[in-house]
Amino acid sequence: MPGKQWRDAIAVDGVESNWVTRVAVGTRQFAIYDTPSGIHASLAVCNHGGADLCDGYFDGHVIECPLHQGAFDVRDGRPVCPPATRSMRVFETRIKDGMVQILF
Amino acid sequence: MARAIITPLTQVLEEGKLTRKDLRALMQRSNGPAFRRLVLWIAVLTLTSTLIALAWDSWLVWPAMFLQGIVVVHHFSLQHECVHYTVFRTRWINDLVGQICGLIIILPHRFFRYEHCDHHTYTQLHGEDPELIEMPKSIWQYLWILTAAPYWKYKVSEVVRHAFGHLNEAERRFIPSVEHKSVFRDARMMLAVYGALLLGMVLSGWWAPVWYWFVPLLLGEPVMRVIRLSEHVGRPTVARMRENTRTNLVSAPWRFLCWNMNYHAEHHYAPSVPFHALPQLHERLKDHIHVEKNGYLGAHWDILRQLLRRKGEEVPGTA
Repeated sequence: MPGKQWRDAIAVDGVESNWVTRVAVGTRQFAIYDTPSGIHASLAVCNHGGADLCDGYFDGHVIECPLHQGAFDVRDGRPVCPPATRSMRVFETRIKDGMVQILF
Repeated sequence: MARAIITPLTQVLEEGKLTRKDLRALMQRSNGPAFRRLVLWIAVLTLTSTLIALAWDSWLVWPAMFLQGIVVVHHFSLQHECVHYTVFRTRWINDLVGQICGLIIILPHRFFRYEHCDHHTYTQLHGEDPELIEMPKSIWQYLWILTAAPYWKYKVSEVVRHAFGHLNEAERRFIPSVEHKSVFRDARMMLAVYGALLLGMVLSGWWAPVWYWFVPLLLGEPVMRVIRLSEHVGRPTVARMRENTRTNLVSAPWRFLCWNMNYHAEHHYAPSVPFHALPQLHERLKDHIHVEKNGYLGAHWDILRQLLRRKGEEVPGTA
């Protein structure tokens, strides 16, 4: 299995300001978050009910699932409120040559 | 790779009934509208409480307690919004207010949140929607449901069961195991608060909570049964949101009391939209959902018509 590598996800200009943006990289769907502390990324699917987090409400560093309103802190993936009880998977990000890159 | 499930919201977005830009605007939260409404809420409760005090020595105390009860039972609507974190932008205030509402109407907040999640996932599906109210089989059963007696029997036994550390099979399905102890603790704390209050009343001889809270709650609950039945009962028990849920167009006082939850189909489509934005969401979706223009009464006429039609079909020789 190949090791982790930085992959282009989306142009920085394409990231919705102070909100969440859906991005596909290969077969994977990611949620890219524009936050006061920079760009963060997680898998796009909620680990509770399987809904698309990119249709959820985003405020500061908290993404809320659109189906059940379970919420996660996008910086470390920890659940913020029920029914989310497990951390969501988050990824390292960086900006390079005008692109948001995700390490996976 | 795991793909997101199809939800009513993803459907309306894909069908273009709603754009992501609309959704983002509609989902914006603020503490202001909720605090303003809460001030009015407390004023209404003060008014109905004053009516009880003024009518204390006459038979009018009963209609006054009924009026108070109508407001008291609508703490369910506020608690329901708090479950969705759509009352206040500040998340912990939703938790606090939701807990207080739950204490007022005997509905532990954490348990309700988990139960309500499955209601949204499996709306109107037999055996899966834990809040599904079955279509009554007869007029008598319909009237029995409206007395709220079966509701109280179920809810009180539910809290007591949880206090004793038991969950039924359906509850074990929708409450994660890491939360079982918390659900039990919530039920015990709730019963402890009621017990302490009762002891306080016995020792002090101050029985006001009975007449300003408990009796109004019992008198008012049938009104909440009328409202809860209007949301889904009589609609098809299928996994199609545009069919299985009613939006009831009701007057401003009812919208105030139910925190706009009469826009029920809209709420099911986009539960993250706060109460104050539901009328705008209604304008976007009204041609896509089932709307009962005659409000709660129209919904119950629909239920009764279905019951009467069913009764006619059961007449020997006509089946």
